[in-house]
Amino acid sequence: MKNGPLFILGLFFALALSWAGLALGTHAQLGDLQPYYDDLEGKAFPQRAPGIASRGQLVYQDLGCMSCHTQQVRRPSYGADEARGWGSRQSVARDYVHQNRPLLGQNRLGPDLANFGKRAEAAGTTKIDLLVDLYNGSQGMPAYRFLFEEREIVGQTSGNALHGVAPDGYELVPTEHAETLVAYLLSLKQIYEYPEARPYAPDVNQEGAR
Amino acid sequence: MTQTTSSTASTGVSEIDTSSRCALSFLIVASLLWLVTGGVLALLNLVQTHSPGFLADCFLFTHGRLDAMQETALVYGWAGNAGIAVALWLLSRLGGSALRGTNYLVGGTLFWNIGVMIGVCGIAFGDMTSFSLMQMPDYVQPLMLVAYALMAAPGVLAWTGRRNDSTFATQWYAVAALFLFPWFFSAAQVMLLFVPVRGTLQSVISTWYAQNLFSLWMAPLAIAALYYLVPKIRGKVMPNYDFAIYGFWSLIVFGTWMGGRHLIGGPVPAWIPSVALGAGVLVLFHHMIVYLNMSGIGGSGGVVMKFAKYGFYAYLLSGVIDALFSLRSFAVITQFTLFQDAQWQLAFASFSLIIFGALYYLVPRISGAAWPSSGLVRGHYLATLLGYSVLIISLGFAGWQQGTALNDSTISFEAIAAQYRPWLLVASAAQALLLVGNLALLVNFIRILFVRTSEASASQFRQPRNLEASSS
Repeated sequence: MKNGPLFILGLFFALALSWAGLALGTHAQLGDLQPYYDDLEGKAFPQRAPGIASRGQLVYQDLGCMSCHTQQVRRPSYGADEARGWGSRQSVARDYVHQNRPLLGQNRLGPDLANFGKRAEAAGTTKIDLLVDLYNGSQGMPAYRFLFEEREIVGQTSGNALHGVAPDGYELVPTEHAETLVAYLLSLKQIYEYPEARPYAPDVNQEGAR
Repeated sequence: MTQTTSSTASTGVSEIDTSSRCALSFLIVASLLWLVTGGVLALLNLVQTHSPGFLADCFLFTHGRLDAMQETALVYGWAGNAGIAVALWLLSRLGGSALRGTNYLVGGTLFWNIGVMIGVCGIAFGDMTSFSLMQMPDYVQPLMLVAYALMAAPGVLAWTGRRNDSTFATQWYAVAALFLFPWFFSAAQVMLLFVPVRGTLQSVISTWYAQNLFSLWMAPLAIAALYYLVPKIRGKVMPNYDFAIYGFWSLIVFGTWMGGRHLIGGPVPAWIPSVALGAGVLVLFHHMIVYLNMSGIGGSGGVVMKFAKYGFYAYLLSGVIDALFSLRSFAVITQFTLFQDAQWQLAFASFSLIIFGALYYLVPRISGAAWPSSGLVRGHYLATLLGYSVLIISLGFAGWQQGTALNDSTISFEAIAAQYRPWLLVASAAQALLLVGNLALLVNFIRILFVRTSEASASQFRQPRNLEASSS
């Protein structure tokens, strides 16, 4: 190989090819994906998360929660995602259109959180329960005590203090980070049945067989 | 203690080597400091995996932050500095003249390392980007690009000013790595951080970047060293060299498509993981050709050859395993588990081992002195080899166990953690061993810097075999 410029040009185009294929190809497919408007409900899905939850996502990202938790459900026939109650359908690209930075995650040292809000609702888990879990740790998750402030009670107690956790004369107040993080976790729902969310099964005889 | 079998012709020391002494030593000492720092962070991170309460009260060291910090320190700190040092030395050697533009190199290295430092501290204070292998905060990323351009400048000068028009495989790989990194680094910065693309397209770009970082940067840097070291030390013509060019282009053309293997079953178009699987198989053509070219690597040799040999075996194995576990039927178990960490460690080990070999070869040449302590060399070699083997195997088993247990919905997360815990204890011990070995290398390197060149008798270089540290 003697031609230097041609060599560099070859390198450039080899990478440009994969960039065009993966970046532009996916962009062509997903770039103009819109929320799905449901006429009957009169709403578009996915719905935008409330502002406090969007702030909570930044806390989630800052702390690096995605190194142990994924936020992507695989299709029911692939792995045990459905059996573990993480979601009855596959996550699709449309679930993430409103997220500034989708945090899909790569490791499941802890459970998937794509539908955490829905699960919490079904189990009756409240914001307070989650804050206590964050303070004490649960099921192998470490305690995140630095998200709370232990204050001596002077006069009236703080409205959002956790009860029964702090020693006498003290109160435990979640920081804004803890509050927004919990709001974010409770907002995580991938519930709407988009047309593309389930693969079409053509074989009628398979109906109900799963 | 057996001496190495390098031929006399292979080890001339010339002006080419000694002129770049200061600049390259700066890169190498920085890389080794990061290697040790990254090793400490990686150890803390691994301990947290089996004992989640460890350092949990310290907000700087949450599991996620430590993970990003150790990865940044090892990839940008160790691999970046050391890989570039080796590539520049190879290019100047093969270009036939002393390294030019070393002022740029020193300046670039300074800013690169300041950048990594700001990056690691930024992550500790919560500014990570959340993109795997690109975790440094957005405010430091442009600096990294500029610093990289300065560091790579001497490589470009050595390439354009080469004495001989025809080029050797080492130069292709080294130049490709130097040239392609800023291409995909800047593209990823723009598309992920500064003008972010929408939704899960970010995940596609992020895996594309992470794969490129290995396939188009770390791997070529290591393979460049291999193509230089093996024929030099063996003193033989490389077999089947005519095919080398096909091996090179198949890595560059196919390797970059493999990122999608991390997105199997994810919320992205289904063709992305499928293409990644195809590319993973096609890139094995590259591995096969490098294997043909390196067919003489198996025999015994000095410590340089030993590192190169095991690094090369790790590289082959890593290629095969990455292709195999891109299959959906395997990925259903290994995806989202520690098995992926084992795969990454294997790929990373292949890079580190080969670069260690290259450092053992080039450091005596640029500093004009032999390694001060063969005991430290032997210690580093044994610790590294044992450490990496045990680390990778135990992480692999832990991940496999974790994956099979995750697919059984009756097993709780606490039970899963209890199952893989013993493996992770072993892995932590291995990580600690690696750290000890790397400390030995650092100490040895610092000592060689303070050996006065005049004391190291010139006669040593007329009997170059004394330069090669022996390891057995």
